[in-house]
Amino acid sequence: MFDRVESEFVTFFNVTCGICIILMLTVILISTSRRRNVSENVPDNVVLLYQVGRGPYAPSSSPFPLKLETFLRMYKIPYMNDHSGKFSSKGKTPWIKYNGVSVADSEFCIEFLKRKRNIDKEKISPFLKATGRALQKLTEENLYWTMCYSMFVENQDMIATVMPQYRGWRLKLLVIILSRVLRLEMWGHGIGRHSTNDIWHIGKEDICALSNYLGERMFFLGDEPHEVDCALFGMLAQIIYHMPNSPHEKLIKEKHNNLSSYCKRMKDLYWPDWNERCYNVLTPKDDMGKIYFNY
Amino acid sequence: MASNNQQPSIVIEQIGRGPYAPSLTPFAIKLETYMRMAKLQYTNSHRRKRSKKGKVPFIEFDGQEVNDSSLIIEFLNEKLNIDLNSHLTPSERGIARAFQKMAEENLYWCLVLHRWIYDNRDWIMKLVGVPKIMAWIPVRLVKKQAEGQGIGRHSYEEMVRIEEGDLRAMSEFLDTKPFFFGDKPCETDCALFGQLSQLRWQLPNTKGEYFVNEKYTNLRDYCDRMKTTFWPDWDDCITHGGKVKKPKS
Repeated sequence: MFDRVESEFVTFFNVTCGICIILMLTVILISTSRRRNVSENVPDNVVLLYQVGRGPYAPSSSPFPLKLETFLRMYKIPYMNDHSGKFSSKGKTPWIKYNGVSVADSEFCIEFLKRKRNIDKEKISPFLKATGRALQKLTEENLYWTMCYSMFVENQDMIATVMPQYRGWRLKLLVIILSRVLRLEMWGHGIGRHSTNDIWHIGKEDICALSNYLGERMFFLGDEPHEVDCALFGMLAQIIYHMPNSPHEKLIKEKHNNLSSYCKRMKDLYWPDWNERCYNVLTPKDDMGKIYFNY
Repeated sequence: MASNNQQPSIVIEQIGRGPYAPSLTPFAIKLETYMRMAKLQYTNSHRRKRSKKGKVPFIEFDGQEVNDSSLIIEFLNEKLNIDLNSHLTPSERGIARAFQKMAEENLYWCLVLHRWIYDNRDWIMKLVGVPKIMAWIPVRLVKKQAEGQGIGRHSYEEMVRIEEGDLRAMSEFLDTKPFFFGDKPCETDCALFGQLSQLRWQLPNTKGEYFVNEKYTNLRDYCDRMKTTFWPDWDDCITHGGKVKKPKS
């Protein structure tokens, strides 16, 4: 009798698992095809910005999508978001599609759009423009790695803060994968061969340099914001909103508060809907398919 | 500079003299130019030894190993009370650091890719004595590192755009000044000269060489000025394309 009950239970279990797997695949297929529809319905002259989704306390948990989206807003370029997490052919994100042409790398996207949209060259001197580029490279090619080290290698508890949708074993697996990938990248870069203290020292000097240069200016190149502010804001916003109690965040709060004030100015200017674009605040709204600046 | 009764012993561990500049690595030129600018007594060792972090150059300061050219300079500044940036304002110090990092963390990778992956591959392999059959080893290593850093995922044309963007910025910032921050050279000039010297003299028939020597010629003139000021013995410190077997150490 027990054999028969066991046999029927095993059959029931197998059938139930099979049904669950089919249902899961169906849900994944439907949600993927629903997301795919966003890219199929982009009007002409509207940028489709591919991102990996909104961040918990800032519109992105990566500096580069935030830089790119702030640029689109700064120049009021019509755009819509695709948060499916699809990567470009170079394995990078964010990336864009504009009138059928795909462009990867946030900086190349900006150059491409400036050409295509005939965005006038900024009215700043070559000297100031050069200064802006150097500041941008300081943050994107140096400070950025010290932030990655702090978040994904040294103090992995912070990953839970910026990715609260992951818990338990999924979070542990994510931490293992991310920290391994980043360690390899940082070793290749060179910064990964330093001690924890030396890496923090490099980050600290970078923050100090940015703060000293900004001084009492409203924006990095003067009283008006410029394209380079999108990059600098994209990076600094990660420290302020997504790296709580990190050495970077504490340093800015305690000694270089002009950087926090700067971020608030950029946020108020270009992100009046900030709270709606973060998924861990009171009124998050999905903007997949919404066209911005579609006059 | 604090006066010491006894000069500390400073030995720079390097990879040997270069064919047309005192080193094939910009970081050794940066470090040695700093020593000369700060008027420190030092000796060079060309045993091609790597530090515990696997990096070169490094120094032995009274027997103590110190790594990474920037950290070495900070160490020496503190130990010997040196500040070659003392005439810079805090804002200028900030932008000086930005230009240094742009050159060392961005432009540098264009130099690496030109040398080991693209147009200079045969030249560098022959120079360092890597047989063709084994060329894939350093090429594979460099590709992985460059991909980790990010620049390795771009095409050659995209890399050249990035390279030109950095050089144009340096040229526009330098403008007609003799040195990057005015009439007096500073610590940051050592780093920028280190990088630019490779494009000026040791990246033959590449876009990088063209940008420095023909398009943004104030950078070429700047390199010559730094060479004249800090390297009057330049010709003794190079191998002249391998013709001099034992140049000045």
